[in-house]
Amino acid sequence: MKILVDNAPEQKRRARRIRVTSIEILCVVLLVAILAQGRLQDLFDVPALRTGATVFVAVCVQALPFLVLGVLISGAIAAFVPARVLERVLPKRAGAAVGVAGLAGVALPGCECASVPVARRLIGQGVAPAAALTFLLAAPAVNPVVLVATAVAFPGRPEMVLARFLGSLATSMVMGWIWARWGKLSWITERAMRRLPDVEPGQRWKVFAETARTDLVEAGGFLVLGALISATLNVLVPAKWFGVLADQVVVGVIVMAVLAVVLALCSEADAFVAASLTAVPMLPKLVFLVVGPAIDVKLFALQAGTFGKSFAVRFAPVTFVVALACATMVGTLALGGAR
Amino acid sequence: MKRETQNVLLILLGGALVKIVVNGDYLRYVKPAQQPWIIAGGVVMLVLGAVAILRDLVAARAAAKAAALESEAVGPEARESHEGHDHVDDGHGHAHPACSAWLLVVPVLAVFLVAPPALGADSVTRTTARVPQSAATTSAAAFPPLPAGKVVELAMNEVVTRAGWDSNGTMNGRTIGMSGFVVHEGSTTLLARLVISCCAADAAPVTVHLKGGAADRFPSDTWLRVTGQVVAGTADENNGYTPDFAPATVERIAAPKDPYEY
Repeated sequence: MKILVDNAPEQKRRARRIRVTSIEILCVVLLVAILAQGRLQDLFDVPALRTGATVFVAVCVQALPFLVLGVLISGAIAAFVPARVLERVLPKRAGAAVGVAGLAGVALPGCECASVPVARRLIGQGVAPAAALTFLLAAPAVNPVVLVATAVAFPGRPEMVLARFLGSLATSMVMGWIWARWGKLSWITERAMRRLPDVEPGQRWKVFAETARTDLVEAGGFLVLGALISATLNVLVPAKWFGVLADQVVVGVIVMAVLAVVLALCSEADAFVAASLTAVPMLPKLVFLVVGPAIDVKLFALQAGTFGKSFAVRFAPVTFVVALACATMVGTLALGGAR
Repeated sequence: MKRETQNVLLILLGGALVKIVVNGDYLRYVKPAQQPWIIAGGVVMLVLGAVAILRDLVAARAAAKAAALESEAVGPEARESHEGHDHVDDGHGHAHPACSAWLLVVPVLAVFLVAPPALGADSVTRTTARVPQSAATTSAAAFPPLPAGKVVELAMNEVVTRAGWDSNGTMNGRTIGMSGFVVHEGSTTLLARLVISCCAADAAPVTVHLKGGAADRFPSDTWLRVTGQVVAGTADENNGYTPDFAPATVERIAAPKDPYEY
């Protein structure tokens, strides 16, 4: 009996010594990478890989600061905005809350990466998911920075700015109402729904830093995944796709919608890319601008990571179809047909 | 993934962002206007990681001290309550294994070890020359006359735009100076420059066709400064608005720090 008691801590200690934790794995990965640096650089000396690597780093460098902005806002909401304030501000009915949330998107001047952690935190603070998802889709597309960029890219075509605003707002609100009607909470992973306990006054900064840190680590990995996919497709998608769109509007609309998804451009830059495609008619350009901020591969990865896979595989395709439909409808009305 | 590892990764990634701004490499990836954003993003990551590590250390020390004090008095019960406290401390978010966080290693390695170069000839041949950005808007607009002087320094975007859309012929008879990199496409030698509006993912090339063979001997991606004249009426839709350029001088230069036009 005495021997048994003595042995137990000894075994425990040995087990702890042998256990490999992630910090050791990280050290080994870094060490191996540093030792193999020369070979690594040779490996990337193939032109296509080099181009892909540059695009990958570019997407990361470009998007990470906006993700940081998003997690800071998310942390601030968690720490400084009590759930009951949000409940008081937003209308009780989900349908009305969707409208408020769509217009609230005007206030977050960032790209799509920033809005994912914010939307998730809103759900965590008890905002109706329909409203939070509307905000998620509206914020990157209807904020003033993006609208000004669009106006600069299409000078003399103010109807393009209006059409983009209306198309994106319609997309986000329709998605909100669809969610309010058919959405199931069980699709969203439990982790995203977890409600933080009310913060005590002395703990605010701690909660702020900790929430931002956790959100950043979680979403950051998926942003990197999205950047990898986007860089790969950027190199692989044949440039000819852009050339054949001149006079087939239907094909043009579909191809531009698909391109918006696979290229995963920042919503502040996509207007310039669309404007540079002079051969493409206005309607497919508008579709490109409305679909891109609503759903692309980078966003899909972020959504899957934040809200769970079973949410993303349902939400993303529906968003694509709704955005396509809204853009086509608004474009036909506001741009006067498919010119 | 352990909390400590996450914090180390955050610090590495934040450090990578700050590094590329400090040594100027960020211009290979994004436009200059992004600089404050990248700095701020990197610094916030560093701070979030550092604060978490510091707080963990302080908490661990306090917990160890408390445990040492209490274990004398109460024994196993104290240890249990200490564990409970620990759980509350790192309570939200990472009860699940955050495997995705491992992907943060990829950009860290890419920035510190590979440091991908700016886009070059491969990107130009991959993306058929799109129309210069300003072009859609300036069609038939009056271009202001070029400034006086023997050689007029112009951005390549400007040269190609004027060659394609300037019906007043402001470049006719003028000697233009510009710089770009060599691209060999089939038997033709192009001088190219990539135009970005946000980051390298949206880069679109502008190109001129270098006539006369003076530049043929340079391999692709060599940076050149050329002076010469644009052959009027050679840029149209069929050649992707690539005007012919007759260079008078061709001079090899070092790759510039900011390789893109904006």
